[in-house]
Amino acid sequence: MSRLEAKKPSLCKSEPLTSERVRATLSVLKGIVTSCYGPSGRLKQLHNGLGGCVCTTSQSSALLANLSVTHPILKILTTAMQNHVSCFSDCGLFTAILCCNLIENVQRIGLTPTTVMKLNKHLLRLCISYLKSEVCGCRIPVDFSSTQILLCLVRSILTSKPACMLTRKEIDHVSALILRTFLLTIPENTEDHVILGKSIIVPLKGQRVIDSTVLPGILIEMSEIQFVKLLPVKKPGSLKVALFCASLSGDLSDTGEGTVVVSYGVSLENAVLDQLLNLGRQLVSDHVDLVMCQKVIHPSLKQFLSMHHVIAIDRVGVALMEPLSKVTGTRPIGSLGSVSPSTYGSVKDWCTAKFGFKHFFHLIPNEATVCSLLLCNRSDTAWDELKVTCQTALHVLQLTLKEPSVLLGGGCTETHLAAYIRHKTCNEPESILKDEGCTQTELQLITEAFCSALESLAGSLEHDGGEILTDLKYGHFWSVQADSPSIVNWSNLLSRCGCGLRNSQEELSWSFLRSTCHPFAPQTCLPHEAAGSANNLTLDCFTAKLNGLQVAVETANLILDLSYVIEDKN
Amino acid sequence: MVMACRVINKRRHMGLQQLSSFAETGRTFLGPVKSSKFIIDEECHESVLISSTVRLLESLDLTSAVGQLLSEAVRAQNNTYRTGTSTLLFLVGAWSSAAEECLHMGVPVSLIVSVMSEGLNSCIEEVVSLEVPVHHVFDHIDNTKTFSGLETFSVSLGPFLQIPSDTGLMQKEHDLKDVAPQPLTIHNLSGRPVKSPQLFRPQAKVEADTNTSQTPQTLKNSLLADTCCRKSVLIHSRHLNRTDNSQQISKPDGFLEQHGAATPQAYRCNDLVELEVGLSHGDDSSMKLVEAAAQLQYQNARTQQGSCAMPFMFDISRIFTCCLPGLPESFSCVCPGYITVVSTSSTTLIKELQNQPIRVVLIEGDLTENYRHLGFNKSANIKTVLESMKLPQDSSEELWINRVLEILIKFNVNLILAQGNVSEHLIEKCTHSKRLVIGSVNGNVMQAFAEASGAVQLAYITQVDENCVGNGVCVTFWRSIPLDVVDTVDGMAIMLKTEGINLVTVVLTSPVTAHMQSKEDRFWTCASRLCYALKEQKVFLGGGAVEFLCLSHLQILAEQSLSKGNQACSGWLHNTSSWLASSLALYRPTVLQCLANGWHKYLSTLIYNTANYSSEFEASTFIQHHLQNAIDSGSPSSYILSEYSKLNSGIFNSGISNKLGQIPRVYDIVTPKIEAWRRALDLVLLVLQTDSEIITGLGHTEINSQVPEGFLFL
Repeated sequence: MSRLEAKKPSLCKSEPLTSERVRATLSVLKGIVTSCYGPSGRLKQLHNGLGGCVCTTSQSSALLANLSVTHPILKILTTAMQNHVSCFSDCGLFTAILCCNLIENVQRIGLTPTTVMKLNKHLLRLCISYLKSEVCGCRIPVDFSSTQILLCLVRSILTSKPACMLTRKEIDHVSALILRTFLLTIPENTEDHVILGKSIIVPLKGQRVIDSTVLPGILIEMSEIQFVKLLPVKKPGSLKVALFCASLSGDLSDTGEGTVVVSYGVSLENAVLDQLLNLGRQLVSDHVDLVMCQKVIHPSLKQFLSMHHVIAIDRVGVALMEPLSKVTGTRPIGSLGSVSPSTYGSVKDWCTAKFGFKHFFHLIPNEATVCSLLLCNRSDTAWDELKVTCQTALHVLQLTLKEPSVLLGGGCTETHLAAYIRHKTCNEPESILKDEGCTQTELQLITEAFCSALESLAGSLEHDGGEILTDLKYGHFWSVQADSPSIVNWSNLLSRCGCGLRNSQEELSWSFLRSTCHPFAPQTCLPHEAAGSANNLTLDCFTAKLNGLQVAVETANLILDLSYVIEDKN
Repeated sequence: MVMACRVINKRRHMGLQQLSSFAETGRTFLGPVKSSKFIIDEECHESVLISSTVRLLESLDLTSAVGQLLSEAVRAQNNTYRTGTSTLLFLVGAWSSAAEECLHMGVPVSLIVSVMSEGLNSCIEEVVSLEVPVHHVFDHIDNTKTFSGLETFSVSLGPFLQIPSDTGLMQKEHDLKDVAPQPLTIHNLSGRPVKSPQLFRPQAKVEADTNTSQTPQTLKNSLLADTCCRKSVLIHSRHLNRTDNSQQISKPDGFLEQHGAATPQAYRCNDLVELEVGLSHGDDSSMKLVEAAAQLQYQNARTQQGSCAMPFMFDISRIFTCCLPGLPESFSCVCPGYITVVSTSSTTLIKELQNQPIRVVLIEGDLTENYRHLGFNKSANIKTVLESMKLPQDSSEELWINRVLEILIKFNVNLILAQGNVSEHLIEKCTHSKRLVIGSVNGNVMQAFAEASGAVQLAYITQVDENCVGNGVCVTFWRSIPLDVVDTVDGMAIMLKTEGINLVTVVLTSPVTAHMQSKEDRFWTCASRLCYALKEQKVFLGGGAVEFLCLSHLQILAEQSLSKGNQACSGWLHNTSSWLASSLALYRPTVLQCLANGWHKYLSTLIYNTANYSSEFEASTFIQHHLQNAIDSGSPSSYILSEYSKLNSGIFNSGISNKLGQIPRVYDIVTPKIEAWRRALDLVLLVLQTDSEIITGLGHTEINSQVPEGFLFL
């Protein structure tokens, strides 16, 4: 008997942003992301409260993956961030904080959403066209003939993740490793298209970070017993390889639903094993030297193969299948039937290696654009953080290869951009007013909201109660101890700006970031030598930051524009 | 799904407080004299006796996030090095209090992090000067001396130990008479008082020491001569790799250090026994077993490889421990081969198999009918039907057992070692047909048998062919245990051996069953210490010497940065452009001082635990005194080395100058120790930088029922 239940009516809330609860949760979320931002950001312990593993992190990707938010508005926000992070890896917190700041600032001024959206979009366009323009004062072109800028970029990323628990020496070591890993994935001979190889991060927890290393080729972990068995079988020259993605464990693959009826005395297991041994015979007669399987190989088949001097490696794992098939030129075999010889591939050589307590089978391919980064860190939580950070850094290097520019980091891009926008809307408001059809006051209000969102984003880098200054020539970011005497010779108190490009001895003048100073035109056009000479710059990924800026403004616009939330209560 | 978020360090830092209170529980485990603890489960009235940090944390309920990070850190240290966990736990406590103190004094978090981290780095660079190279220790192994000969030294305590009876030479002479009649095989002992290795003597004697350090020039010369002819082999030390002792050494940070009256000696260790004594940290009964195991391995390696061989490596993976609770301590011993306990029902079987080489099969997994190799998925939906009315006579297990027996008979196999479980029924059947089956065999043991007997490890018994069977295994009873003891042991110990097997079994016995676990743990700790020392070919001067150097080094750094300001520490911060960089000089002395206090606490607890100081305060004053001396001397490392060399002066004066360096020193292993420090500080700094705890996946009900204060919800 079925029972019908009356449908509950949908719940409709108007003006969701005005609700106290939404504001409260938004501010909690903002608090979380803001406190994580930057090299001195605070860490969060994420766990399920039931004795699950504890993740200590300050990275957007780890945070967002674990945050489970309920309110639709927060969902819009976190989903937008996650999408950004999954495409660009970096600048997730930047995006989230900027978005929250924009929502907060705009709510305070109380203009109609249409005006806000229009003007926000216009300001965003101004930002983007400036950042992309030749005269941009916070963008440095990347010269791939030297490693300096790339190393700075990687080092900035590592430095901004304190939960990796790296010392300076370790940061230098890992930065160099990441750069080397990246370079190993670039093919040597290329014609039209560059197809980047792959880097595989191999975990080696519990060891010292300094023991991390990168090797060309693929490392496959294996047990000590296998390792010892492998030692004597070594043939010179290249090897013929077969790669299986089907399980060779000898179980009955998916018998489907229902029952299989077998008469007494018939052993299905033996039948499958016979089939496996037939396969083994074919492999031997095809002179295959190395058999690798994603899953398990039946011990009897292994025994058969090793009797015929064929190396069998099983439990390779799904993650290694693609790179393995790429470097060996094999097509993964998915069935136990007869194997077409065209699916075989080859490798140049192999050897065994031991790192820490782990034993590895090291495959050396003919043309290596695949490499393995053996990553060590003392504790699990720090290792996890370091792994994600390395992936981010590698991704950022790829993005930089595509778009060879970097932005000044350490808050300098944000303050510089804010100064530029302020100056632009103050001095040339006519075109905007005409295009967007709004009043001068509206433009001023929105500009203020937009620029102060950028500036307080930069200010979020400070977590220890310092104050932020900006210089009135370049519009860079400078931090100073709180409660410094008001009449002071700034140039003695300050040393370098956030990105490290400017020195306080350059005859600059400063003002507090949040004080109302007159709009000024920040100096554009970065001199070339400035970029070349400084070797300790803090840099950000251009592509990721540009996209983050766009996502933040558009998401803020979307959220500000929401007038109803309709919930289906069934 | 709801998520809660809690800000954990608004006013006081809860995480750090938790860390220090967790760490407090393990303070009695620091040092060679460990007091055991009983842990009692209130609910089921079970209790365990523990005497190590790892076991303590295993038994504690550390479900809080910080507690989990702590046990993760301790576990990681233990899994990687098997030693250093007590140091780690203690330093976690000491440094989390230190970090909290810094917070109270208003030091910004980022500065605490960078200064502490770089401060420890600097310590780690500094302690290189106390490394002692370990070379060719096995070259002298054929000498008659063994570890047992050294027993009469009071080696149980570190150099910081306090001998209460230090009331003068008369007393010592008297002591000597008690000592002398004991059989001593050490050649440097000629009936002279043996001084224990104490770096720092009780305060009452300190002044006298300063006097004695001005030894007659002739003596010093002969000391120098001795050091010179030994040719320093310390290559890493900037203090020690020169023979000209009066040279002024310019340190990188600019201050000149004079090697004055304190004569640094080139320490090195090339004697196995000396090394073992130094690394035993008071646990000579375990170390004696370790040394015996090492000797056996060494001899085995020599006979296997002949004389021209690769350098010998002490391999603890080829040591197996067999615990026999209930037997008296004196039964503990080391034997070549594999010793295990089998049921008494196989007595007759063993008797028959004795004195003849038998053939062996090695099984990787379980030896049961239903066992399938890892990764094999059994299909649930297969049904076997009978087509005829004829019922099979045997059950499928019996059929399987018969097949196994057939194979065993065919290949004439009398011994089966399985890594997993073995079917009871099969064991019974095999016993009847004169075949011994042993289950739950350790993987390393299997590997050793595979190598020595030529057997190949198999997943299934059906895989057996002639190439997989090993030869030449001997089975005997382990030793004749007195009859009255046999009853207390269920089962009997047997020994399996093959010619040249690279496996040593250490039999650990204890009349008190509750002690068994800690005895085994202690054995492994000693074994890994020796293993690391040999592997790294270097050790630290131990007994608190390295920690003391860290303490005085930090103290000097703190004083320097007070006087010199900012120059000394540029580059100590990741982020050199922040205001923090410019206020580093302001806070640096404070933070370094706090870090140093951690060492101070460590040392005074070590001494308090070890020696007979009535209070930690007394111990702390004692450290303070030496700290001042060390700092005043201008070079703490030379001070420590000279204090070490003074240990020899007692023997020196007695005229046996050529036997310098035979005083048992206390040593420590290098990397595991340093890693324990780093791990401890990493954990503290990780928790220090954490400002909130985010709990995911809480249901509504749970939140309502346990609404703890200060949670925010998303």
